[in-house]
Amino acid sequence: MSRPGHRMGWALAPTPGLALALSLLLAGCLDNGARPLMGLNLQLAHTAVNRDPALSSDWLALIGGREGREQVRLVRLSQGAPVPLTGLNRPDARPVSVAVDQWGERLALIRELEGRSELVLYRRSLQSVQPIPIEPAGVPHRLAFSADGRVLAVEVVRGGLSQVDLLELP
Amino acid sequence: MRSSPGPSLLAPPLLSLLLLVQACSLPWGIRRQPSPRSALGLGAESRQDPALSGDGRLLASLVLRSGRSTVVLQDRRSGQMMPLPLLRGQQPHSSPSLSWNGRYLALLVWRGSRRQVVVNDRATNRLLPMPLRGDRDPQRLSLAPDARHLAVELVEGGQSRVEVFALNELLEPDPIPGQWLQGPRSGSRP
Repeated sequence: MSRPGHRMGWALAPTPGLALALSLLLAGCLDNGARPLMGLNLQLAHTAVNRDPALSSDWLALIGGREGREQVRLVRLSQGAPVPLTGLNRPDARPVSVAVDQWGERLALIRELEGRSELVLYRRSLQSVQPIPIEPAGVPHRLAFSADGRVLAVEVVRGGLSQVDLLELP
Repeated sequence: MRSSPGPSLLAPPLLSLLLLVQACSLPWGIRRQPSPRSALGLGAESRQDPALSGDGRLLASLVLRSGRSTVVLQDRRSGQMMPLPLLRGQQPHSSPSLSWNGRYLALLVWRGSRRQVVVNDRATNRLLPMPLRGDRDPQRLSLAPDARHLAVELVEGGQSRVEVFALNELLEPDPIPGQWLQGPRSGSRP
């Protein structure tokens, strides 16, 4: 007669998805009881690399993909599903930092393109990408949006000194 | 006889005009707030990793204090500093993130020999540690403006991944005005 433990081990062995889920369940919780969003975390775990998350209400923007082929992704938490960002991601660009407003409408992105860094504002409903000039000139490194999408804070390096530029958007 | 204004008197209006023209040249009517160096009163100090409260009123950023990265919280317009006494002695700080009105400041601090996620509740003056189970190193985080969710970038085995946690059993929400009246939107602004 087989022992229950053996039976369970046999059942789990050929199901890597279940093993991943258990791993996330056991390791993912914060000790004080914060509850991991299992379905979403499982979905995110299927991507090779995910980094630089930016949450805003129901929206999660992040940079993910395979090393060297990363893209900006936008996920609606309540649906656990990514939404298309038509016209934003380019195969010749490497995303550096991303932020999203509370409606998931505006995304601000710093990306490296043709050996330089640029700041762009993306409007999802219009599928439009608008470069924002850095003045005085500098290299943008990291950014943050206010949730209302009205203010953008950008860390810019000028002459070896990091500064924060604040932009007010209409 | 009154002398005509010299170049030094003309300079401020000319500078204002120049700034106005420069601001108007930005796309979509984007307006550049005066340099944080003057507006936020930190001199030529280096500052990194900005985070804004959801309503855009507060700015958190990292500056060097005694050679260690330290988060400072300021009113964005006046530059007035808000004290963060509970975070002293836990530098280097990194990855600050603010809720809607800045009640909650989530960030990574250094405790013992590792980085740890903490949330500073400025309304109750509490510091809530959120240790991660397992041998996983938090790199960055993002707190939702309503404080209902926290996204953490973790490194395990050299690989980065993002996980999202619900905080509704831990933190009172920092309500976003009008959110519950409007309901969730997709791709539209009010």
